[in-house]
Amino acid sequence: MSLFTHTTRELIIQLDEFFDSIEISTLIFKEGIKAYVNGDNDTFQAHLKKIDELEGKADRLQRAIENEMIIHSILPQQRSDLIKLLDVLDEIVDTAKGSLNEFYIEIPKIPTTLGSDFIALSEVSSNAAEELIPAARSFFREPHLVREKLIKVYYFERETDKCSFNIKVKIFHNMPELQLAEKAHLRYILHHIESISDRSQDAADMLASMAIRLML
Amino acid sequence: MIILFISSGLFLGWSLGANDASNIFGSAVGARMISFTKAAIIASIFVILGAVIQGSGASGTLGRLGSVNAIGGSFTVALAAGLTVYLMTKASLPVSSTQAIVGAIIGWNLFTGSVIDIHSLTQILISWLISPILGAAFAFILYHLLKVWRRNMKTHLIKYEERIKLGLVLACAFGAYSLGANNIANVMGVFVHSMNLETASFSLFSLTGAQQLFLLGGIAIAAGILTYSKKVISTLGNNLLELSSEAALVVVISQSLVLFIFSSTTLANLTVKIGLPPLPLVPVSSTQVVVGAILGIGLYKGVRNVNFRLLGSIASGWITTPVIAGLIGFFLLFFMKNLFGIDVGHAINPVVHEGSSLNTNLLIKNSIIVLLIFATAYLVYLVMREKSKSKKINEGGPLR
Repeated sequence: MSLFTHTTRELIIQLDEFFDSIEISTLIFKEGIKAYVNGDNDTFQAHLKKIDELEGKADRLQRAIENEMIIHSILPQQRSDLIKLLDVLDEIVDTAKGSLNEFYIEIPKIPTTLGSDFIALSEVSSNAAEELIPAARSFFREPHLVREKLIKVYYFERETDKCSFNIKVKIFHNMPELQLAEKAHLRYILHHIESISDRSQDAADMLASMAIRLML
Repeated sequence: MIILFISSGLFLGWSLGANDASNIFGSAVGARMISFTKAAIIASIFVILGAVIQGSGASGTLGRLGSVNAIGGSFTVALAAGLTVYLMTKASLPVSSTQAIVGAIIGWNLFTGSVIDIHSLTQILISWLISPILGAAFAFILYHLLKVWRRNMKTHLIKYEERIKLGLVLACAFGAYSLGANNIANVMGVFVHSMNLETASFSLFSLTGAQQLFLLGGIAIAAGILTYSKKVISTLGNNLLELSSEAALVVVISQSLVLFIFSSTTLANLTVKIGLPPLPLVPVSSTQVVVGAILGIGLYKGVRNVNFRLLGSIASGWITTPVIAGLIGFFLLFFMKNLFGIDVGHAINPVVHEGSSLNTNLLIKNSIIVLLIFATAYLVYLVMREKSKSKKINEGGPLR
C-alpha cells in the first residue's frame, strides 16, 4: 500500500480517458464510413487521421494503466481480468482504425444502392461498442448495473449480424452486374465493419462475468 | 534455570504466533492486499501491546481453572500444550492452543488432586461454543453493511479497494492487539501464579510481574509471526472459502471484535454497570472464530461453496484437543515428579521462595531489555529490506 492517493486518482483519470478514446473512436468510425460512402474524401481523411491518433492514445493509456496497476499492486484480485478487458477494448479501436484503413488502401467500390446499407451497418456495429463503454464504466462504480447495460450490446450485435446478412444476400443474389471479385471484396469489407460489434460482444462477455464475480 | 522453565511457554507463544497470526492477516496477504512483511511488522507490534496492556483478563479465568502453583508444573503444563499443538499439527488435525492449554491445566488438576473450578470450566466451554457463532454473526452483519455501503456510495472500485486496504491495515493492528490480549493467557497464564515477580520500573514505564511475563510471551508470539507464519499462510491458503479483499476485511474485524470482547475488562465492567451479566474473560480459539466468520460470509452468499467437512473436523477438535493435552499433561507431570524429582505443584496455595525471587526479577527484567533491543533491530532490518525491495521495483521502470 504505497501512499497512493495520487496514484489512484491518476489511474481513475487514465481509465476514464481510455474509455473516452474508445467511445470517440467508434463515433469517428461511423462518420468516416459515412464520409467515404458519400464520397467526401477530405472528411474521410480527417477522420482517418483522428482515429489513428486515438488508437495511439488508447495504446499508451492501456500500457500506463497496466504498469500502474502492477507496480502499485492495485486491484490485485481483479487485475488479470482487467488487463484482459483493456486488451479486448483496445481491439475495438484497433479494428475501427483497421477498417477505415482498409477503405483508404483498397478503395472498395460501394454500389450506390448499397450506400445506405453500409452506413446503417457501420452505425449499428458502432452502437454495440458505444453501449459497451457505459457498462465498462459502471463496472467500476455500480457493478450491479453492468448486466442490464450489456443487454443493448448484445442487441446491437445481433442487429449487426442481421444487417450484414441482408447486405450479403443483396450482393450475392440480387446484383448480377457485380464481378465475383467485387462481391468478394465487398463481403471482406462488410466483415471488417461487423467485427467491431463482435469485439464488443467479446468484451461484454468478459465484463458480465467480471461483474458477477465482483458482486459475489 | 528460570529461563529453561518458561521456555515451554515461550515455545507455545512462538507456535501460536506462527499458526494463529495467519488468522489475522493470512487472508489479507493471501488476497495480495498487504505484503507479508508489512502485515507481520504491524501484527508483531500490536500483539505485544495487546498482551501487556490487556492480557490479565483472560489469564485470570485460566488461573481460576487451575492455579498451577509450582514453576515445574507451569513448565510441564505449557510443554504438554505445546506438544499437543505440535503433534496434532504434524498429524494434520485441527488444533487450537487455547483448547490445548485448558486440557493441560485440567490434566494438572487431576494429577495434583485439585478441584476443578466448574464455574470457570463452564464459562470456557460456553465461550468456545459461542465465539464462532458470534464470529459468524459479526461477519454476516458487517459483510451486509459493507455491501450496502458499496452499493450506495458508488465509489470507484479503485478508490474502494484503497479504503479496503487501509481498513485491512487497521484491522490487522486491532486483530493482533486482540489476539495478544486474549491468547497471551494460553502462553503465559500458567506461569502467573507460580512465579512471584515484582513490579519492574523502566525509565518511562513500569510493568507488574504478570505484565513482564506477558511481554516475554508477546515477544515469543511476535517471533513466531516474523519467523514462521509466512510458511503457514502459504501452506494453508484459504481452505474454507475463496476470500475477496472485502471478505478478508470482514473476517479480520469480526475475529478481532470477538477476541476483544472475551478479553476486555473495561467492556466486562461496562456490561455489569448497565445491568447485564458480565462478559466472561476467556481465551478463545482465534482459528475457530475465523472459521465462524468465514461461515457467516458463506451464509450471506448462500452456503453452497463452504467446506462442511473441514468445519466438522474443526468442531471435533473441541473434544480431541483438550483430551489429548490433558493426557499428555498428566503423564508428563508424572514423569517430571517421579523421574526427575521436580516439584510440579500441589492442591494447596504455593510456597514462595523469597531468596530466588530477586534474582528472577532481575533476570526477567534484563531479558526483556535484551529482547526489546533485538526486536527493534530486527524490525529496522525488515523495514530497510522492504524499502530496498520497493526501490528496486521502482528503478526497474515500466514492466511492459
